[in-house]
Amino acid sequence: MRFRLSDRQVGILFMLPFLITAATFIVWPVAEAIRLAFYQYNPLRPHDQFWVGLDNFERILDDPLFWESFHQALVWTGWSILFQTVLGVGMAMLLHTALPGIAVFRGLLLFPYIVPTVVIALNWRWIFNSEIGIVNHALLRLGVISENIAWLATPDMAMASAIVLNVWKYTPFVIICVLARLQTIPTELYDAAKVDGAGAMRRFLDITLPMLKEVLVVVIVFRTIWTFNKFEEIYLLTRGGPGTSTFNLAVYAFEEGMANLRLGVAAATGVIMIVLLLVGTIVYVRVSGFGREEKPA
Amino acid sequence: MATTTRLSATRRRLLQGAGGAALAAGLAAPAIAQGGPRVARVWGEPGPYGGVFVQGMNEWAQRNNANIRFEVEQIPWDGVTVKLTTDLAARRPPALISVESPIAYQLAAEGLLEPVDDVNTAIRAKERLVDGFTLEQFGGWKGTNYAVPVHHQPCLLIVQQDIINELGLGNPAEWNWDRFADAAKAISEKKPGMAGYTMALGRNLCADYHITQLIWQAGGMTWDPAAGFRTVFDSPATVEAFEFIRRINAYMPRAAVEFSFLQVVDQHVTGRTGMSAYWGRTMGRAAEEAPAIFQHMEYYLNPAHPRTGGRWSWTDINGWIIPARDNPFIREVKEAVAYVSNSVEWMVRYSQSLMPNVGPVFKDVASAPAMRAHPFYQSKKRTLDVIFEQSVPHACNTGLELKKGVNPLAGFAHGRSVWAQAVQRMILNNESPKAAVEWGHRQFEAIRRDNQRLLAG
Repeated sequence: MRFRLSDRQVGILFMLPFLITAATFIVWPVAEAIRLAFYQYNPLRPHDQFWVGLDNFERILDDPLFWESFHQALVWTGWSILFQTVLGVGMAMLLHTALPGIAVFRGLLLFPYIVPTVVIALNWRWIFNSEIGIVNHALLRLGVISENIAWLATPDMAMASAIVLNVWKYTPFVIICVLARLQTIPTELYDAAKVDGAGAMRRFLDITLPMLKEVLVVVIVFRTIWTFNKFEEIYLLTRGGPGTSTFNLAVYAFEEGMANLRLGVAAATGVIMIVLLLVGTIVYVRVSGFGREEKPA
Repeated sequence: MATTTRLSATRRRLLQGAGGAALAAGLAAPAIAQGGPRVARVWGEPGPYGGVFVQGMNEWAQRNNANIRFEVEQIPWDGVTVKLTTDLAARRPPALISVESPIAYQLAAEGLLEPVDDVNTAIRAKERLVDGFTLEQFGGWKGTNYAVPVHHQPCLLIVQQDIINELGLGNPAEWNWDRFADAAKAISEKKPGMAGYTMALGRNLCADYHITQLIWQAGGMTWDPAAGFRTVFDSPATVEAFEFIRRINAYMPRAAVEFSFLQVVDQHVTGRTGMSAYWGRTMGRAAEEAPAIFQHMEYYLNPAHPRTGGRWSWTDINGWIIPARDNPFIREVKEAVAYVSNSVEWMVRYSQSLMPNVGPVFKDVASAPAMRAHPFYQSKKRTLDVIFEQSVPHACNTGLELKKGVNPLAGFAHGRSVWAQAVQRMILNNESPKAAVEWGHRQFEAIRRDNQRLLAG
């Protein structure tokens, strides 16, 4: 007797790799993190785990460093998203012009997004190095500054440097998304607006921006989630310093887990981050009206 | 319709073929794995010396047909805890580790290490140790030794002697804190573009080390093992050390508040500082990259505190430790470590692999003709004597403060760089030294409270 699979079974078999991967690398870690948030777990003693109820959450909410990190996470995320969106839309519009060789520029734009974060962060550490960095060298040679700026050594400058790195790396993502949408806007709309006497700004506000609304909502939501959770850029660039001035919640969770050996507290921080992002996303999507059908006039 | 059927058939064959291949590979894997030698991972600090020791261990493996191969993995100083926690959690620790001693003390107190008194007896460690060291200092806890001595590294004052002489700043060997600060001031004022002194003040391990040795020199401590590990950080001596750091910070590079190990060495070997605090590596780097700097470089004991006379140095009193759990190589590792440690020839090669960073801890190694044949003994004998011998009476570290007993709490505090953070609060946030010290005291007290179980044993 020959073994034969039905079409339905074949379909399930083809889905299995995805389902197994998603369950292993997404569902199980999240479920495990939520479970750990209620346990005391020292990674040096993986065999010993104790149920502590809500103690980990109490500890976090009583910790001034958590609130400091939360505030800094808002600053880091807010400025990063603002600059990425404004620059992303602006540059996408510049690139949405029919010029010879524009395709090469569009390709080059992806460069920062492609290069691994660790390479970029370490390079930027050298670029921002106050003693031998090229930024200070250039500014000194141009006469813009008279003495070296300690880019990563003062709290405000370190945060600004981290934001600049984030904006440089991820603005191309915004540009590509916006550019793709710009190319689908019917040119007749602009022609009609011109006939009606609309200037460039009016055309941007009344045609381009509404047309970009949906894609911008998606881009902003995703970029906000990714930036709020970002760990490696800040850690590699400043390690959360100077002091704790560039801690965000991801760095805080890492410090709790690895430096203080309190994986339960780190997991609880992760759970709080999930809740914050979930609430923030729902509110934002509701307020922006994403996915709502236009009512006929 | 016919096309769809053909496509389905192809998919089925693909699935059946892939399934068969996976099954065959799974069945064959154990047989393939059994063929080669077992691999035992050894963690060493960055630098070639761990690799040299492992070569010696592999020589033992070959001579004894142990069917084992030791492989070295270099782990950065400040990355050991993170890597170790993840590897222990995965129940796959390395077979052998060379780490900064405070981490060894912490792991010993956690009960995670294999006792090595048998190895220390086999290598006659007690009799061979350089005068001034004891076995307990390498990794002892409650009467049991968990570390096999391997090297020591003191953090000292490094000066460019030509600059000191040119400016008439006297003999650094006779300096106290005030004369040292005056020298740093004179260099920064009279040598444009050059810092008077460089130490790490970033939020990192290196800064912790540099800061704590000043605290000890003033007579302060973080925890007192003799008084039940009471937190004693908020003493006038600590405040005095913080005030001194604030004073000399004026003669340091502005970016010192982000400096760690590498930046301090860079600063010195590129001629951007007249003096710095560091271990032997600065001289090694200068010899390789900057002969002019090397030529005038000298090491001195740290300047004495005017009142206490203390010249304490944060010294890595480094030993090999063996994780006890989930480690299938304990017997082989012990035999191989004993084999290499008993070989003066291997231990000389170990020390000479990164001169003068890896100080010999055995008398027969320190005095071996092969050791003394190194070219640095001709060009820098005075400095080598300071690093290898004269520093020993002043050697302690954050897990062995003022040599008053081992404490296992320092590893936790280093994980968070509490000492560095406290100083940064003073420098960056303009907190008073007293307020910054009090903040640090609260952090250390919390660490002690959280880890009472370690102290209780």
